[in-house]
Amino acid sequence: MVGVGARSGAARLFGVLQGLCRETWGCQARGVATRASTRVLPFIPTQDPDVIRKVPHDFRVVYPEFLPNPVPEWRNRLREKIERKDMLARRSNMPIPEFYIGSIMAVTVADPNAAGKTNRFVGICIQRGDSGLRAWFSLRNVIDHQGLEIKYEMYSPLVQNIEVLRLEKRLDDELLYLRDALPIYSTFPSDMETEILQEGAPVPVNPIKVQLKPRPWHERWERKNLQGVRDLGLPERFYKKAKLHEKPWEKYDLMKEYRATIPEEEQADIFREISSHYPLLESTRRRGKRKRVLPSLS
Amino acid sequence: MISCARTRYHNNGDEKRELLSSEVTKVWSRVGGGSGLHTSAPRQEIRKMARLRVVDNSALGKSAMLEGRPPKCIHIYNKRGVGFTGDKVLVAIKGQKKQAILTGCHQDQKPLVPKFDSNNIVLIDETGSPLGTRIHVPIPTMLRKKLTDMSRPKGADYTKILAIATRFI
Amino acid sequence: MNQAEIRKLIPAVRVVINAKHRRFSNPKGPEGRLMMMRKTVTELVKLERVELNYQRGDEARGYAERLIASAIKNGDCHIPTMEMANYWLNEKQLVHKLFKVLAVRYRDSTESYTKLHKAPNKYPGFFREKAVLELKGNPFPPLEPNNSSRNWIHNILLEEAHQEYIKKKLKEEETDN
Repeated sequence: MVGVGARSGAARLFGVLQGLCRETWGCQARGVATRASTRVLPFIPTQDPDVIRKVPHDFRVVYPEFLPNPVPEWRNRLREKIERKDMLARRSNMPIPEFYIGSIMAVTVADPNAAGKTNRFVGICIQRGDSGLRAWFSLRNVIDHQGLEIKYEMYSPLVQNIEVLRLEKRLDDELLYLRDALPIYSTFPSDMETEILQEGAPVPVNPIKVQLKPRPWHERWERKNLQGVRDLGLPERFYKKAKLHEKPWEKYDLMKEYRATIPEEEQADIFREISSHYPLLESTRRRGKRKRVLPSLS
Repeated sequence: MISCARTRYHNNGDEKRELLSSEVTKVWSRVGGGSGLHTSAPRQEIRKMARLRVVDNSALGKSAMLEGRPPKCIHIYNKRGVGFTGDKVLVAIKGQKKQAILTGCHQDQKPLVPKFDSNNIVLIDETGSPLGTRIHVPIPTMLRKKLTDMSRPKGADYTKILAIATRFI
Repeated sequence: MNQAEIRKLIPAVRVVINAKHRRFSNPKGPEGRLMMMRKTVTELVKLERVELNYQRGDEARGYAERLIASAIKNGDCHIPTMEMANYWLNEKQLVHKLFKVLAVRYRDSTESYTKLHKAPNKYPGFFREKAVLELKGNPFPPLEPNNSSRNWIHNILLEEAHQEYIKKKLKEEETDN
């Protein structure tokens, strides 16, 4: 790999340790660098496969940040294992509720510059990303006719409390079009009360169709196949151009889809590993879900 | 290349030959015909010539915004040439040069720093005193630290704008 | 962004795959690449053993494995799987073969469904390497000889001698006790 004299002693030792870790932990689906591209070996489960039945079926939807980034070059089994342990430790300290894109949340952070040293922000979750301890989500609200968004790292120690005021899903996976929508769709009162759902009820899907402001927009929304917007009302040439850019073959591309996911067996393996923490995780989830009190605003 | 296409002559060294129609269409599509043009993703940075939104109630700011001629950034007082939340900028507003503080950026920010839908500024003078008496939009709490740090070497007090703010986010 | 896709649960592919897809530059672009893969997968399902270039075979192998895995997992009444099979198999009688023959053949298998053998190269070169891609359990004679030395006469005799020795030792221990 790297020349012997090229790195410092500490760096070399770390490299050796990394290599050892790759050898011991990474026997399943490790990347072996070759001239052309990293080869990804087939996955071999490390946990008892009979326990597969005990993994709740919707864990990947509720705790998506426990699943690693599927790009093989950036994977490190040992790091992922340690991260999961740290994530659970943080969750036992500060419970992170179940939330989806489109849920309205309130986050309290420690802020040395704010009055009372804490800062609370209410907003709709428009985006979430990254895996492990880096996992973040973005909240949007319109305050005093000014639209603003704040990004929060879920496992940051500065985050003191995350509440889900309204647990619901939307028709789209990302709500970035709210930036180009009328402000009414992003406005939520700061003193909004928690709307609680019935125990065991499925997460409601808000079928709202948002109206966008006239162009110019941040992105070409006509090319994005959005479900949650009203008719865009654009001239025909936009839709013709959008059709040229469509890639209808991508939905049949089995390997592209595979490379973007973590296989079923590996997901089960990961969730089995944290199975001892199920009671804690599930109690956190259920905390937000009780009898439905207030009607949802659409 | 446009002129070559129009005259339909392609100057290949000393030779001149007429362009084939297929080559002409290729040239056009490369220049501006749509799918041939590659642009970089918009970065929403505040650089020189960026148009900004005045969010205080100063007479100068209000009239400029009402006219539909928002101030343009003409200089950014940092080493990078890109303005971030809390940076001092020099703007050209109604034919005058005024200093201003960026209280909100449209660019993606680090976690816990709010990102705004518009690039907001508050007009100030050389001593850091704001021209207006109130800021009607929320401003980030991180300005408190940033402006105090900025004020120390300059001898001006940029934290005066925090006194006229109505809401901190 | 930078998160794994969670909408679908996909079974693991049991073969070694490249981290990134191979581009296979094609006049039709990415669509042409997929059409090329489709042709290979159709031929593989039809003939059960095809000779091709190694790079194409390795790429098509992933698609073939995924197609068969989803056919086994979901069966032929699952509409998205049927549409996928309809896209990937250019000849429609092969869709029946996939669900009725191949899915049944590999239903209880825990290993890969295909095998990619490296074939002799007629001409040297990185992208001219030849290969044979075949479905396991095909009716043809095996390509690679079974060089297992287990059934060689001297190994059988040694194995028997070893078993006799063990029995003798156990008897001696019993008589001692």
